[in-house]
Amino acid sequence: MRLYWLAYAAIFALTVLSFYGLINFGDEGLDTSLLQDSYFYAILGFTLKQALLSALFSVGIAIPIARALYFLPALRFKKLFLTFCLLCFVTPTLIVITGLVALLGRSGLLTPSLNTALSSFSESTWNLYGLSGILIAHIFMNMPLAVRIIYLQLQTIPDNSWKLASQLKLSKRQCFRIVEWPVLKSSSVLLLCFIFVLCFNSFAVVLALGGGPQSTTLEVAIYQALKYDFNIPEALTLAWTQLIVAGGLYWLITRSGGVSWQSIESSQYNWRPNQSSSARFWFSSLYGSAWLVLLLPYLSLLPGLFDSDLSSKDLKAIGRSALISISLAAIAACLAMALAFALLRPIRQAALKAQSKRVWLYESLATHALVAPAMVLSVGLFVYLLPRIDLDRWGIIFVVLLNTALVIPFAVQKLKPRLLQFDQQYDRLARSLKLTQQTRWKIEWPFIKEIYLATMGLVLVLAMGDVAIFSIFGSTDWTTLPWLIYGYASSYRIAEASAASFLLLTLCALFLFFLEKLSSRSTVSKQPIEPSQAYKGETHA
Amino acid sequence: MKRLFSLLAACGLATSAHAADLTVYTYDSFVSEWGPGPQLEAAFEESCQCDLAFIAVDDGVSILNRLRIEKDKTKADVLLGLDDSLTEVTRRESLVQPHGIALNGLKPELQWQDQDFIPYDYGFFSFVYNTNKVEQPATSLKALIDSDASVIYQDPRTSTPGQGLMLWVKAVYGDDSANAWKQLASHTVTVTKGWWEAYSMFLEGDADYVLSYNTSPAYHVVTEEKTHYKAAAFSEGHVAQIEVAAISKYAKNPELAKQFLSFLISPQAQSIIPTANWMLPVVDNVELPEIFDELIQPKRIGFTPKQIAKQRKSWIREWRSTAN
Repeated sequence: MRLYWLAYAAIFALTVLSFYGLINFGDEGLDTSLLQDSYFYAILGFTLKQALLSALFSVGIAIPIARALYFLPALRFKKLFLTFCLLCFVTPTLIVITGLVALLGRSGLLTPSLNTALSSFSESTWNLYGLSGILIAHIFMNMPLAVRIIYLQLQTIPDNSWKLASQLKLSKRQCFRIVEWPVLKSSSVLLLCFIFVLCFNSFAVVLALGGGPQSTTLEVAIYQALKYDFNIPEALTLAWTQLIVAGGLYWLITRSGGVSWQSIESSQYNWRPNQSSSARFWFSSLYGSAWLVLLLPYLSLLPGLFDSDLSSKDLKAIGRSALISISLAAIAACLAMALAFALLRPIRQAALKAQSKRVWLYESLATHALVAPAMVLSVGLFVYLLPRIDLDRWGIIFVVLLNTALVIPFAVQKLKPRLLQFDQQYDRLARSLKLTQQTRWKIEWPFIKEIYLATMGLVLVLAMGDVAIFSIFGSTDWTTLPWLIYGYASSYRIAEASAASFLLLTLCALFLFFLEKLSSRSTVSKQPIEPSQAYKGETHA
Repeated sequence: MKRLFSLLAACGLATSAHAADLTVYTYDSFVSEWGPGPQLEAAFEESCQCDLAFIAVDDGVSILNRLRIEKDKTKADVLLGLDDSLTEVTRRESLVQPHGIALNGLKPELQWQDQDFIPYDYGFFSFVYNTNKVEQPATSLKALIDSDASVIYQDPRTSTPGQGLMLWVKAVYGDDSANAWKQLASHTVTVTKGWWEAYSMFLEGDADYVLSYNTSPAYHVVTEEKTHYKAAAFSEGHVAQIEVAAISKYAKNPELAKQFLSFLISPQAQSIIPTANWMLPVVDNVELPEIFDELIQPKRIGFTPKQIAKQRKSWIREWRSTAN
């Protein structure tokens, strides 16, 4: 029994216990009558539609922006922009919704100009609410992530490909098709799946900006069934549907496409084809507008902030909650990183032996929490544990554990390519030199440190934004910052809520920037063992 | 890792180690620093010379769900924070016991006869508007629904005000509700998951009316000194939400639980609750800020808890298929 199987057992136990808790409690089977209800198909259809559109738009818009970043290496504040992209991805939905409403709602800052623009070619006025609002919010959160990943992917294009392309005098279009597309294809497909699954499980955004019951996702129906009707058979039926549809699609595509995040090398290739001045112009204006569009919702929050006049009591409460949030998220992030590392072990071994089916199987197991409905996991576990453990005292531990479980898929996905790359380049060498585990680790750590720290920042900030799990397992002794925001908000204290939101956002941003900074410093220090050189050395030997 | 856990465990132990004499299940905002919980706790502990502990969950429905899961293993002596639409379900699952408290001190308009539940505050669902934007507010639900004023309300599947509007429409329109929903949908901005999303969108200026409570203007006056938010009085009458407390069937100390319930409707507690929970007191002659006298005092309409328990599902089905 190897240690890493324990990691598999642990994350699997969590899911199994949750479902067991619900199935066992209800003592009833599934509610199959639901499958004859047209309502069920309407929400399933809508869930699929909005998720698909969100994914397509996010990736579609991300590609040109990522290309702009790639083709103009000298753009200003590029590093900052890439970190900012991550911030958009992890910003708590509550803040995104508030920002978008302040910007594009009926009295939004931009609404008058949008109306003028619209009136020139149609009768209707601008309306945020409905499918448009859902898509805007989803694109705002997911497109930046796609930009980041696609940009990193483009950087793996070897200099030689470009040189060859220019020698062959390939046109722009041919260049895109022959040089860029093969690199973009796999990450785009994977991103599509990933964003699709995230939007498939979307909840608060859909309800707030959806405009009415026509915009209902499965997650909303699960929430209703579990919470308001306490109808466990119905909730289970919906949960299985979600698991099968979202999970099935995700796994099918990742499997059939044979796609994977390719190894990410950090800026080793510096040669870019020359851009004409018009292309330069378009790329830089695209870059500028991306900055603007992503900044605006945040800026529109600022006016509300100056209204607030916080008492020292509030400041204390906010400070205390901030500390709790940071500590809990840090523990969850450390756990998640350790577990992800363990979970990746068998995946790496299978990859070395080129057993692609196994890689896929292990990876699906390791990331299954991505498609499992979060509501079902937490409520199921709650139902299972409540009669067995004093949750008023120990609940906070499960807040950490469940948050860990939910961010593991992100950690696994982000760490995997770098680790596989390491194995590809060093495993044979390390084995032939009969390096001990310790020495091997000494080589491995500098190689993965950059990605490791950046990933840690991401999962930390994701865990810091949690409210869903805290609402079930948390207690008032441990009020976290997001929970405090809801607390303020639900008792009219809107100024305090926006001040606390601003602090949460600032903390998220600080963590992301700090860890990115830390990791980029480590890139410099590892220069002596530049991976590509080491790789070359090995093959020439 | 182990060390971290024991550290966490130690903190957990330090905060809630001892079992209290009286354990009260309630919802989070009730016990928050600015909610009525802390003041009530101090006042009650002083009079009973006992130790009271609140265990707070997400909201009213979560109190019920937790009891459903725990059954006889529950720690709760008192449940505080269910509302009148949930009383019937709670009773049917035999989670409460009769309180044995005389009800004649309560406001007559509540017509409260329930032997298991004691009301401690209430409010009328109302549409709130900004007088700077709406000069002539609608005077009836029908007028509002027939108008083209923009409206934000909450989802009846996920929030109590949303459910309140559903009952309101049902009470006013009866069998014609489907058409009313269709009509309302044509000028609905959006339907949110909870009260807060809707209310903050309204404050951002995204709608003329938002579904809230008749007590909402009191908050703006007392805490913010803003007088331009008003609740519209509708001639058909309004549906009320009555928040209730009850003694758990498995209470370890039912006598003390009864004492706490009596305390809840005492003048002392009743003067604490309204300005901390922003709802109306259930007894008369409570000293309150002036604005409470200026709030609209609508006629109460609606359904009995029994009727709600029976019809809720089909009404929700009707709403979700027509409010598009």
